[in-house]
Amino acid sequence: MATQPHYPDPLIGQLPFEREVATLLVEVLQLDLTADTIAPDDPLFNEGLGLDSIDALELALAISQNYGVELRSDDERNGKIFASLRSLAQHIETCRKR
Amino acid sequence: MTAVWAAPVPLVGRAATDVLFSATGRHVTAADLLDRAHQLAEALPDAAHVVNLCRDRCRFAIVLAAASLRGQVCLLTSDASRDRLCGFADRFDRICSVADDPAIRSPLHHLCVGLEPPDPAPVARTNPELPADRLAAVVFTSGSTGEPVGSPKTWGELAARSNAAAVRFVLAPGFPAGIVGTIPPWHMYGFETTVLLPLHASASSWCGPSFYPSDIRAGLAAVAPPRMLVTTPLQLRALLRAGIDLPPLARIISATAPLDAATALAAERRWATQVWEIFGATELGSIASRHTATDAGWTTYDGVRIARGEGSGAVVTAPLAQPGPLNDEVEVLAPTRFRLIGRSGDVVKVGGRRASLAGLNRILTGIPGVIDGVFVKPEDDRPTARMRAFVVAPERSAEEVLAELRARIDSAFLPRGVVRVAALPRNEVGKLPRDALRAMQPSDGDDG
Repeated sequence: MATQPHYPDPLIGQLPFEREVATLLVEVLQLDLTADTIAPDDPLFNEGLGLDSIDALELALAISQNYGVELRSDDERNGKIFASLRSLAQHIETCRKR
Repeated sequence: MTAVWAAPVPLVGRAATDVLFSATGRHVTAADLLDRAHQLAEALPDAAHVVNLCRDRCRFAIVLAAASLRGQVCLLTSDASRDRLCGFADRFDRICSVADDPAIRSPLHHLCVGLEPPDPAPVARTNPELPADRLAAVVFTSGSTGEPVGSPKTWGELAARSNAAAVRFVLAPGFPAGIVGTIPPWHMYGFETTVLLPLHASASSWCGPSFYPSDIRAGLAAVAPPRMLVTTPLQLRALLRAGIDLPPLARIISATAPLDAATALAAERRWATQVWEIFGATELGSIASRHTATDAGWTTYDGVRIARGEGSGAVVTAPLAQPGPLNDEVEVLAPTRFRLIGRSGDVVKVGGRRASLAGLNRILTGIPGVIDGVFVKPEDDRPTARMRAFVVAPERSAEEVLAELRARIDSAFLPRGVVRVAALPRNEVGKLPRDALRAMQPSDGDDG
């Protein structure tokens, strides 16, 4: 299911598209860190990056505007999509319209 | 006050076949609700108080009704933490909790209600008449105005207010409104608009997801017109920024924080609708409304009166409710009209001038490029102490925001510092708890 890394970041293992999404995260949420320090498998919410529901709303808007992917509270999938940078990037890549 | 006899209130004031709640593939009629409530009532622990932790509005209503059938009182809280629940156990004897999310762990005698439909065989559908003075719920504040305090609500008071809201928002029998609410059912505003209205007025409430803009659109598409979106300024702004089309929408209702007229007008133009605000507080419930784009003042609900109280306060009287002080600074224009000056504890005095933090916040969030923002009063009482402002404004510098503010507000209220932050620590209904705000304050000087 998961695509094999093509050009993994040597330090943290981000795929190119994961880096792009990480950059979006940092810009939109004005996180006090740089995109290349977000580990792909770390949780985004709560204990990980510490994002909350208001961040989720912001992020959903940015993802919709940048990739045409609309996030919905589909009960089962949503927890997985937002689980980590990797899962979020995979979801966007699968569903993107632009 | 002399006691006034009031007619009993039916637990469910709707026809048996009326749809009260709906979600994808689910329609719950008044008869269904009573069936399920009777079934659950048998399963409820022997208790006097039930902490209703259900997230789904329909299940929340079923627990409310079941508790009522057993003569139990529901406690409503946004905080389901172990500490809060243990705190309840110290204050209320014979207490239990009910949730619909298996992930919720409760230290109390706890029941988890599932999604499965009830047994096909209907049980007795008695729809009891409840004495108007029977306690239905105790609603706990979200904490933005201090320590959590419980506000007791009687069935008579809640039903009377639902009927007043129905008159104000034209919920006519025969044309039930399809309500999509974005506020949790345990918050007083969400409780009144998305749980109680369907029980007592001509309305049906959406129980599907309603968090993201696309959820809201899907929910609105699923409910029957006339459609009504019940939301907060925060979510309304997000919906506008998402720039999405919505099905024909009769009305948008906003509460929990003041909405600026520009946002209201933008929403009215975008979706050819009307934007109304409800004025309320946990202690009093909804008491007034206004059409934000055209009316700076508030008109009380039918039967609700406002009068000047001691000092700068006001007292609200409402049918079947204890008269209560309004914890906001208002100018009473008439027994049914008032103007909001500010939340109490919200009025700032600088250099002998007074302004409302709510008003200042409205100006701040009305600045182009400012997505969210808040003024914070200085912690000390020195007359020279200045306010700070926190803004979420990715595309504006602190200096630009300050320049915009300078053009719009009295210099006495200009913040000493404008601090750009990624997000404000808002809770689930968009309020900013005091402790979270305090924690945001930088320890020393900042930019701006």
